[in-house]
Amino acid sequence: MIQAINAALDEEMARDARVMVLGEDVGKRGGVFLATEGLQQKYGPDRVMDTPLSEAAIIGAAVGMAAHGMRPVAEIQFADYVFPGFDQLVSQAAKLRYRSGGQFTAPMVVRMPSGGGVRGGHHHSQSPEAHFAHTGGLKTIVVSTPYDTKGLLKSAIRDDDPVIFMEPKRLYRALKEEVPSEEYLIPIGKAAVRREGSDISLISYGGSMIETQKAAEELASVGISAEVIDLRTVMPWDKEAVLNSVAKTGRVLVISEAPRTASIASEVAATIAEELLDQLEAPPLRVTGFDTPYPYAQDKLYMPTVTRILNAAKRALDY
Amino acid sequence: MIKDAWTFKPFSAAPIALMDEQGNWVADFPLELPPDFLRGLYRDMLAARLLDEKFVILIRTGKTSFIAPHAGHEAAHVGIAHAMQRGHDWLFPYYRDMGLMVAMGMPFKEIFGQMLGNAADPAKGRQMPSHPGSRALNIFTVCSAIASHIPPAAGAAVSMKLKGTGQVSVCTFGDGATSEGDWYAGLNFAAVQGAPAVFACLNNRYAISVDLSHQTAAHSIADKAHAFGIPGYRVDGMDALASYFVMREVIERARSGHGPALVELEVYRYGPHSSADDDLRYRPKEEVEAAKKRDPIERFRRLLEKQGLWNLEWEERLRADLKARIDRALEEAEAMGEVPALAMFDDVFAEPTWNLIEQRALVQEELR
Repeated sequence: MIQAINAALDEEMARDARVMVLGEDVGKRGGVFLATEGLQQKYGPDRVMDTPLSEAAIIGAAVGMAAHGMRPVAEIQFADYVFPGFDQLVSQAAKLRYRSGGQFTAPMVVRMPSGGGVRGGHHHSQSPEAHFAHTGGLKTIVVSTPYDTKGLLKSAIRDDDPVIFMEPKRLYRALKEEVPSEEYLIPIGKAAVRREGSDISLISYGGSMIETQKAAEELASVGISAEVIDLRTVMPWDKEAVLNSVAKTGRVLVISEAPRTASIASEVAATIAEELLDQLEAPPLRVTGFDTPYPYAQDKLYMPTVTRILNAAKRALDY
Repeated sequence: MIKDAWTFKPFSAAPIALMDEQGNWVADFPLELPPDFLRGLYRDMLAARLLDEKFVILIRTGKTSFIAPHAGHEAAHVGIAHAMQRGHDWLFPYYRDMGLMVAMGMPFKEIFGQMLGNAADPAKGRQMPSHPGSRALNIFTVCSAIASHIPPAAGAAVSMKLKGTGQVSVCTFGDGATSEGDWYAGLNFAAVQGAPAVFACLNNRYAISVDLSHQTAAHSIADKAHAFGIPGYRVDGMDALASYFVMREVIERARSGHGPALVELEVYRYGPHSSADDDLRYRPKEEVEAAKKRDPIERFRRLLEKQGLWNLEWEERLRADLKARIDRALEEAEAMGEVPALAMFDDVFAEPTWNLIEQRALVQEELR
């Protein structure tokens, strides 16, 4: 996934001189996860800019750069550190087009490693996507495969609005997949069907796709056909893909490692209940992280485990 | 870093003033500005004052919901605007900058459209009054969140530097903004990058009711420039020419690649913080009256008179003309009518997303 990010940035910087990268350690170091490795040598310190240690400055400056005609890609070292820059995201980036009546825009990307599973404690493990989804004017992507990462990051850079690009850090070097070296784009707002099925829909995204797919395999081994949907974009999420799947299966779990209350999972489950109640064989169930700060010692237990997904599936199937 | 050729010395103990209270030019260099330019400064200050008075009528008659009086800030406003290459440089203003909008050349009709939140507002009535902006004039749209426009001003300046456009990013804010993290983040970033940015604090000594002694323990706001490694200038912001000459110098300094500067323009707001504020609760009436005796417009009028550029007949003609233009602009703005209800759903993104399309349809149905 890291290589996919690097390739997407490289291709977009080569394609469009307005595209630039800024953040802490993105230059000489190449990013703490090495996502921007080699780019400063290739494009110079102006286009791969090491910034002061200030998320407010990184995101806020990106807003001004974007308004002035650049295509900045800002890196926040960990999603957990976005909050000092949150004012810039919600007050400036998200609302610039709207509050100016379309006179000014902020076409920019804010990349951030998110999620748990790397023994990082609560300030290196959070999944704050619901904060962004709740802010009108931001699009939010959470990737789960290297192939999607490249295609979606390129789409995000070309998008005319601010896009939050969340990269589950436990997937950075966990997955191997062929990523074409030629140009391709994946549209923002479109889900992927990872596995076709007919008995139950498992809707997930990001890091939880790992456990979700494992659970689907286990269900298959006992004769239950689970359809697996990867949302990929959580705002705007692909309602059509979700409803089509749930209309077919009648049962659904929404799985995410973010805290449960007021979450993407809650939103998807509520929409399913609103739109498909008559076709449901069981209530939509959420399998999520908990409404606690992320605990260091229970790193793996906090995230939806395969067991927890299977237990929820049993509940839906037995309903 | 600072050339010997620069006129003004940063970090002066006293505010830089170029004319005294009686309108005498007291600078150690000659006043060599064209008569029309000097009269233009006066005209813009007067227009700003008359606009402020008109806003009071708007709030009293219920035509607008909020005003942020700017009377007392006019000298700083015209000094900043006329020091810029208007339409070329970018301005990142805050909410008490309507006089600055006038001096930047924003049409009165657009200003009233924004105050009324109606169809005359280029921003489609999206924000509360006193939050203008203009893409045509390179005026970034005002945002309520204090100091949040400062990092974007720094970012725009970096973009100007990278593109070599020869532009300067000028950012204004009040003394309260200098306590925000965004202020430090923005100034630091611009300074580190050596970006063509000028940060202008209109220090009127009050952030709503909180006076300067609660805002900072520093001797002055300008002193804070030391921390960023940039020059800081303390200016008598009730002196239009001091405001103009210092701003002109730091803007040209930034334009020629010498990086940002911080300018503290000491002003006084005559009115309350806003139409929702009662300033008598936190500052004595005598203080306000004393400040009014230092009125920037009257002070500049005296200078013009001493220069042979002012007489009563000109003043009366100017006032009558400005009043007529302001009245006509208000009528024209009012005649534009309300923003269409469904415009609420426009401009969230370049293309509306499905949830917005659904929500728009809901309101459309309700209105049917």
